[in-house]
Amino acid sequence: MAGISAPTPSFAARAGQFALRWSLVIALFVAWELLTRTRTFTPFMLPSPQSVSERIMRDASSGDLFINMALTIYRALAGFIIAAMLGISLGLVMTRNAGLRWFFDPVISVGFPMPKITFLPVIVLWLGFYDTAKISMVVFDAIFPILTATIAGVRSVEKELIWSARNLGARERDVMWQILLPAASPQILTGLQVALPIALIVAVVAEMMMGGYGMGGAMIEASRKADSRGVFAGIIEISIIGWIFVKAMAMTRARLLFWHAER
Amino acid sequence: MNTLSSAFLRYSPLLILALAWEVAARSGLFSSSALPPISKIAAAWVDLARNGDLAGNTLASLWRTGAGLALAILIGAILGFAMAFWRGAETALSPVVELFYPLPKSALIPVTALWLGFGDGSKILLICMGCMLPVTMGAFNGALSADRTLLWSARSLGASRLRSMWDVVLPSAVPELLNGIRTALALSFVLLVSSELIVSREGLGYLIGFLGANGTYEGMFAVVLTVAFIGFLADRIYEAFVRRTLAWRE
Amino acid sequence: MSGIVVEGLRHLYRPKRGSPVLALEDVNLRVGDQEFIALLGPSGCGKSTLLYLMGGFLPVESGRITVDGAPVSGPGPDRGIVFQHFALFPWKTVLQNVLYGLERQPMAQAEREERARAFIKMVGLSGFENNYPSQLSGGMKQRAAIARTLAIDPKVLLMDEPFGALDAQTRHLMQTELLAIWRRTPKTVIFVTHDVQEAVYLAQRIVVMSARPGRIKEIVEVGLDKADPELTRSRAFADMSDHVWSLVRDEAIKAQAGVGL
Repeated sequence: MAGISAPTPSFAARAGQFALRWSLVIALFVAWELLTRTRTFTPFMLPSPQSVSERIMRDASSGDLFINMALTIYRALAGFIIAAMLGISLGLVMTRNAGLRWFFDPVISVGFPMPKITFLPVIVLWLGFYDTAKISMVVFDAIFPILTATIAGVRSVEKELIWSARNLGARERDVMWQILLPAASPQILTGLQVALPIALIVAVVAEMMMGGYGMGGAMIEASRKADSRGVFAGIIEISIIGWIFVKAMAMTRARLLFWHAER
Repeated sequence: MNTLSSAFLRYSPLLILALAWEVAARSGLFSSSALPPISKIAAAWVDLARNGDLAGNTLASLWRTGAGLALAILIGAILGFAMAFWRGAETALSPVVELFYPLPKSALIPVTALWLGFGDGSKILLICMGCMLPVTMGAFNGALSADRTLLWSARSLGASRLRSMWDVVLPSAVPELLNGIRTALALSFVLLVSSELIVSREGLGYLIGFLGANGTYEGMFAVVLTVAFIGFLADRIYEAFVRRTLAWRE
Repeated sequence: MSGIVVEGLRHLYRPKRGSPVLALEDVNLRVGDQEFIALLGPSGCGKSTLLYLMGGFLPVESGRITVDGAPVSGPGPDRGIVFQHFALFPWKTVLQNVLYGLERQPMAQAEREERARAFIKMVGLSGFENNYPSQLSGGMKQRAAIARTLAIDPKVLLMDEPFGALDAQTRHLMQTELLAIWRRTPKTVIFVTHDVQEAVYLAQRIVVMSARPGRIKEIVEVGLDKADPELTRSRAFADMSDHVWSLVRDEAIKAQAGVGL
């Protein structure tokens, strides 16, 4: 039904609704401020919002903040993109090749539910403390949800769709790239949406374990030095990256799947 | 017999991988510290199991995951149902959920270590905080997915408003809730192992780091594979439990 | 005042987004005891909304609905309902589904069980007591749902396109069985449908509704002999179907045009 316009609420009404909606968040911030003011917690346990924001500003002006953020984003995204390319192509090829399916099916069914992060020390042993090790760990962890989503997505493509394409003269290659991939893309994108936060979590853990530049390394160093402001500043900075990732992924999905009736 | 041989055929690729590992390790192409043969890893595992290192640290790790996960499920489910049943809770809580949802949970490791030190408390708090939101979202979405005609049926069959909530909305939420708990289960192992690797003096993650630092790589590989296996086993047991609980769906 | 009385009923449908739509306007209707009424009209004419209002599932905001003189204020076991998509509790077996309403009635457990089995037998589902709904075909699910509703012996039976999700053969069988059940244990039935032949075959009176906003266009007395096994092949049946179809056709066309707006 077109021509339906929601009545525009007044500014005051909208401000009221906004305040109600964010009341608990605001209350949490007020409580944080009060708890630090009244010294219920020591500044070590809970540094004041002001000191944390000062710390973020200082990190920003010295440039450390941007180096750390950029490195963490680079490692998470590089691993994610490699995992996406490998996962989607392997998943597509597997559905068309019985031999590959025979080999990888049990590997995936055992590998998917395993806590892959345990292999981090092994990867360090093999690849050292450099970016290669961190990115490899991200790939190893992020590839499983993408791979399983691709396989499930291709499997759920209706046979009639493939048959109609063949009937219209599509060859095997065309079927894979022009029919299977787009038809499975809603599920593949869901897999990617699961994998991206995992990539960030793993990148941060790898940095924490191996140290050096990057958000994880900076936070763990702050923690070791009992620098609680640094730790809290890190939490807020990493949350911002996480938030940007989630929003960007949702926007990508909406863009790519404009033809798909979501919900 | 037939099922046994078909299972063997199905999982034979894993056996082939293990054999390839053994051959590669014995060929001398790699240093024995980087790739110890599986036979030596198995021997190291038996040693660790005999001297009690494995059992003690496994118990410590399982206690942390179990307690953290139990708390996460309890608090998470209560929050999720409160949000679904009561508009006020939804209005107040959903921005908080929105705010904390994208936080990479591993970033909480230094904070909980700062608050509660290197012991059990910090791991339990970490797992509880990190695993709560998937459970909350599962309970919330599950409860909202309850079909209104089911609710209406219960009401017209004589159930009171409260009773129909209990009889219809809760069971309707179970599949999504169980899904959320499965995510939480996987996440709990990741957080457990990460935090034990980074800040701990006990537990399987600590044991991996300790053995690696000492250069006893066979032992390190043995514990790594043990943790991977426990995680895998936990997921399979949970899956069997879910299948039994949701038997009515098939 | 016995029966169902609807007076000056008006209902606004408020979607989550967008402005409210007038779903029903100035609806007046009297349904006698044990009468079989069909509410007929194109989709979007508010016939289901009217049924939900009678059931007490939606609040009556303007106008009034009374059942035996008492205003409807909420759902109750005096008005049983059967939905198009069955609405069986998927986590309960057929027997547990049928028992659900009986458990809320004052009687001994053994009596409940006996009664539940009797109704399951009546709808021809003996042997499937311990099956879950997911293990039944569409027609069997609807039989189970009907058994569940009839078991609590409601005075009024509200049916919301109950056979709309079934295949043509099953639908026809179910219609015959519903008529047989209604003749054995007469109840007031309000039957929502958009199928003209179904309405003519089942109902004593057909309430034809117009679309956007939903109003009662005409009430048709069917006056056919439902006991006649040759009924659907009779001349009278064909004439009546033609007559009702001519009333509905204009509304269906209007509703179709409305979709494109």
